[in-house]
Amino acid sequence: MSCPLCKGKASWKNNPYRPFCSERCRLIDLGRWAEGSYVIQKTDKKGFGIGE
Amino acid sequence: MGENLLKIGYDAESIKVLEGLEAVRKRPAMYIGSTGATGLHHLVYEVVDNSIDEALAGHCRKIGITIHVDNSITVEDDGRGIPVKEHPVKRRPTVEVVLTELHAGGKFENKAYKVSGGLHGVGITVVNFLSEWLDVEIKRDSHIYHQRYEKGRPVVQLSVEGESSETGTKITFKPDPEVFENTVFNFDKIAQRLRELAFLNAGISIVFTDERSGKAIEFKYDGGIVSFIQYLNKTKTTIHQNVIYFTGERDGTEIEIAMQWDNGYSEKIFSFANNINTVEGGTHLTGFKSALTRCINSYAANTNLLKDLRESLQGDDIREGLTAVISVRIRNPQFEGQTKTKLGNSEVEGYVKSLVNEKLSMFLEENPSTAKKIIGKAVEGARAREAARKARELIRRKGALETSSLPGKLADCQETNPALSELFIVEGDSAGGSAKQGRDRRNQAILPIRGKILNVEKARFDKMLSNEEIRDIITALGCGIGKEDFNLDKLRYHRIIIMTDADIDGSHIRTLLLTFFYRQMMPLVEGGYLYIAQPPLYKAKKGKVERYIKDDAAMDDFILGSVCETLTIRSACGENGLKGQGLVKALNWVARFNCILRKMSRRRMEEGVMEAFSLERGFNADTLKDEKTLNGLLDGIKAHLSQRYPETTPVRFSIVPDKGKGTFMVRCYSRKNGVQIETVVDLAFARSPEFQELRRLGTELDRIGRPPFYLEAGGTTSEVDSFRALMDRVFEIGKRGFYIQRYKGLGEMNPDQLWETTMDPEKRTLLQVRIEDAIEADGVFTRLMGDEVEPRREFIEEHALEVANLDI
Repeated sequence: MSCPLCKGKASWKNNPYRPFCSERCRLIDLGRWAEGSYVIQKTDKKGFGIGE
Repeated sequence: MGENLLKIGYDAESIKVLEGLEAVRKRPAMYIGSTGATGLHHLVYEVVDNSIDEALAGHCRKIGITIHVDNSITVEDDGRGIPVKEHPVKRRPTVEVVLTELHAGGKFENKAYKVSGGLHGVGITVVNFLSEWLDVEIKRDSHIYHQRYEKGRPVVQLSVEGESSETGTKITFKPDPEVFENTVFNFDKIAQRLRELAFLNAGISIVFTDERSGKAIEFKYDGGIVSFIQYLNKTKTTIHQNVIYFTGERDGTEIEIAMQWDNGYSEKIFSFANNINTVEGGTHLTGFKSALTRCINSYAANTNLLKDLRESLQGDDIREGLTAVISVRIRNPQFEGQTKTKLGNSEVEGYVKSLVNEKLSMFLEENPSTAKKIIGKAVEGARAREAARKARELIRRKGALETSSLPGKLADCQETNPALSELFIVEGDSAGGSAKQGRDRRNQAILPIRGKILNVEKARFDKMLSNEEIRDIITALGCGIGKEDFNLDKLRYHRIIIMTDADIDGSHIRTLLLTFFYRQMMPLVEGGYLYIAQPPLYKAKKGKVERYIKDDAAMDDFILGSVCETLTIRSACGENGLKGQGLVKALNWVARFNCILRKMSRRRMEEGVMEAFSLERGFNADTLKDEKTLNGLLDGIKAHLSQRYPETTPVRFSIVPDKGKGTFMVRCYSRKNGVQIETVVDLAFARSPEFQELRRLGTELDRIGRPPFYLEAGGTTSEVDSFRALMDRVFEIGKRGFYIQRYKGLGEMNPDQLWETTMDPEKRTLLQVRIEDAIEADGVFTRLMGDEVEPRREFIEEHALEVANLDI
């Protein structure tokens, strides 16, 4: 299992921060949600991002 | 003053000595901290520190420490040996004065030693006072001198015991069990301190022997504190290879600094003053930190490495992942703090600052690639700090609002029992409006959210959830967020239903929401509280009958099912008059067959050619081994094409060897919209899963036969001459009389329709989000996020195929 943020190792069992490896990573992730920096790009019909 | 003391005479002097001894034995903790393990081990360090002082003064290279079986300790060095001549004032051998008079050591006058350790300045005298017995042996001036003490008092006169050309001091002592609770020494504890001393005093050899276990170990580090850093970082992944090291002197204070960054986030700075580990820091540490921050910031600003960062780097950002050792040697150390391990000399702060500014700046200038890595890491740290601050703000603001004020956009339900309540998170204001009107307000709450659209570049639209949306969701759910704040008991709805449009935008919003819940509110996913609504994509109406249909596949099933009630199909070689369920089945095979061909044609292969090969019984992977057989098949293929796909003619074939495979391949040149297309039929094609599937379907298609087909419906008959045309005609007939509406979004449905199709617990279907679904959403999210372009394109290509497979 890898941490969604730092891609380091994260255990599932007995890990209060799961799926993150640490409180630090969890908090940074939450911060990114809060600042609206998580963005999904719209794609065209063929499935490629427009403008690439 | 010396003269006066002399006249006072020996008696007064000896009374003073006895007073000192009594004071120490009465309150040992005042001198060595405690009478527990710490105090006991402190005795060893005091004696070793004396030897280290000799080393610092340049007179000693080797120190030996031995724990004997009875837990007595020997410390031996090759220094100059404690002086033995009669003390000019005390009229006794100097060594005896040193061992029996507090504050008698040479170090207090700053002359014998330029700098010295010795934490409390009580040194060896206290060790003697607190020992059951102590033997001192001094090699000096070609002689070996010896004297023994018991409980701090000399029991014999200092005497010559032999001759030696060497010099040095050897002290053996046994801590007094009347003073210490426990007199057993801990090997590891002493070893750790000795290793530290060896690091701090480059080149000195410290041999540690434990006669109780037979263990012996030598500490000697020519690299000094650089070796110390390497030792501390040996299991770490460092971001630059070489340890940064510099040394210098400011007004008699010697300063040595070594440091290195690893890819972690913790900060490990060890500071020492005269070999004492200043656990509480002090002026040297303060000076280092402030100069480090200033230096890195000014270099980063000058080289334009801070780019889009809004503010300058803070000390914490820079020190993430830093391991550093600061060692200063100073004439008059002042130790402060609870445990006397904080350096107090104010002038040292300026000295260290000035050295770091000078040397670190120079290092950064000379090593730009290392500098870039260090600053890159600090920038990452600053971003993390900023994100964490925003996260805390988000939580805090939520805390301030708490239940008392729910989001304005939320239309809450009347029910107060969470187990019976549902929350619909609905994308878009208009859909939110319909949902609010259509819902059962007794137990269904609606929270409309908007996936904010950012028009970042010319034609690129990006979707995100704004800070406000995130906050509204957290507040509406009521269960808090984060390790400390999250409380499942406070969750206000036990069904959280994500309701988004059935298009790409809707799926992106759903992915964002699922990812957020998975990452930040895992217990909701694990507890099975999350659901996905299934709004219909189509409405089909014929007469008074209305049907809602959830997606394209369901739509095809529906049309096919209804048309087959009235349609009959005949062909030359198939079953006579196929209709009803048999026909539905057969047409499904045809649809699948067409679908695979269409998919393959997207890879620039001619559909007709592939169809012909897959329907040709004589062709398989083996045929490709034999040029003659292959050639024999081509006429049939050509005939198939000119009959069924006249637009592709003229068709030309060439058979060529497939290099290295021992087979042949057929290159088929056909035309499409006036352009020549080359379709290659080779071993890879014949073995591909697609072709295998086509072959299998070819057999199934025997029931319906081969073109041309005759379709009879409503008293009329029509003819089609290919599989592709067959399906088109069937759907054309099927759709007759139906009014089909495609919902572009939830907003197009009126409140009643939305209730009836998607929200009514009696009729709706909900998908419960399992943990695997959420993990997958996270994966999709990560790849769609947009900062990694390449993996994203690969992912979409890969999934475009999967999706196509699902459509079949």
